[in-house]
Amino acid sequence: MQSPISRADLQTLLYEADGAARRLIRKLRLSKDDLADVRQELLVDVIARLPAFDPKRGSLGAFAGIVMANRAARIAHKVKRERRLYGAVPTSLDETLPKGDGATRGDFVSEEDGLSAYFGQPADAFADVERRLDVERGLGALDPDDARLSAALSQSNIDELVDRGHAARSSLYRRVKNIRLALLAAGLKAA
Amino acid sequence: MISTVTKLPTAHRRIDETDLCGWIGQAAPGEALEYYRGFLAMDTFSQAKRLAERERAELVRLARRAWWASEQRLIHLVQRRHGADDYSYLAIARAKPQQASASLSSLLLAEVA
Repeated sequence: MQSPISRADLQTLLYEADGAARRLIRKLRLSKDDLADVRQELLVDVIARLPAFDPKRGSLGAFAGIVMANRAARIAHKVKRERRLYGAVPTSLDETLPKGDGATRGDFVSEEDGLSAYFGQPADAFADVERRLDVERGLGALDPDDARLSAALSQSNIDELVDRGHAARSSLYRRVKNIRLALLAAGLKAA
Repeated sequence: MISTVTKLPTAHRRIDETDLCGWIGQAAPGEALEYYRGFLAMDTFSQAKRLAERERAELVRLARRAWWASEQRLIHLVQRRHGADDYSYLAIARAKPQQASASLSSLLLAEVA
């Protein structure tokens, strides 16, 4: 195991991290509030890579400089990608709109335009309710034992049910196939 | 009266029970599907050797599923004769039965308990 770093080495790392973070903040025109976060991210990366440091190949400062430069490039790439996605100037949903009679920006964003919808998650509350009603109607079309098996499968997989002695594996797979077909006939497709 | 009979593309393969269930799930009342053309009683009979064993087994599953769906009051089963040993087997969609819904929450709670 590598010996703990000396106080002088730590000072070197802190100095390098501070300089690299300031350069990055300036280059990306980030807020000063981001300085501490960026500095910490650079430091954590270089500390994680310290075991690979070989004093015969160069000074600790040079090693830290290379690691931080690489890390800074990745941070810059991430920031640029986020800017492409969300725009260069972040705005708050709680920001009051001018001449908006007290309405905030968030008041004008529908669920379909929200972040969940952007990432493909269901955002339509009415569709959610309708889906639930459909599922309950489909469950009503099943044999009660099969409805209970469906509920059990929402918590466990087939292997776990077999281990708990519910039934033989082949029997469970056969019932699952029948349940899928019964739900399909009731108008419910597998997700 | 049946206005139109849907024929699923059968050039490459016969429809199977999943196709049938999928059709039942989305069919409006009165819509009809020809789910098999031939002579079902003979074609599903293992000794008749009219179909390869794999096709025959699939046809048995399809016929049983059609029967199950008619028992569930999802479809009517009828057949139309074209000639000797040649029938169209039709499923006609019925109005979806008003079944009691099962409470999803109750089922999940019972499972957790």
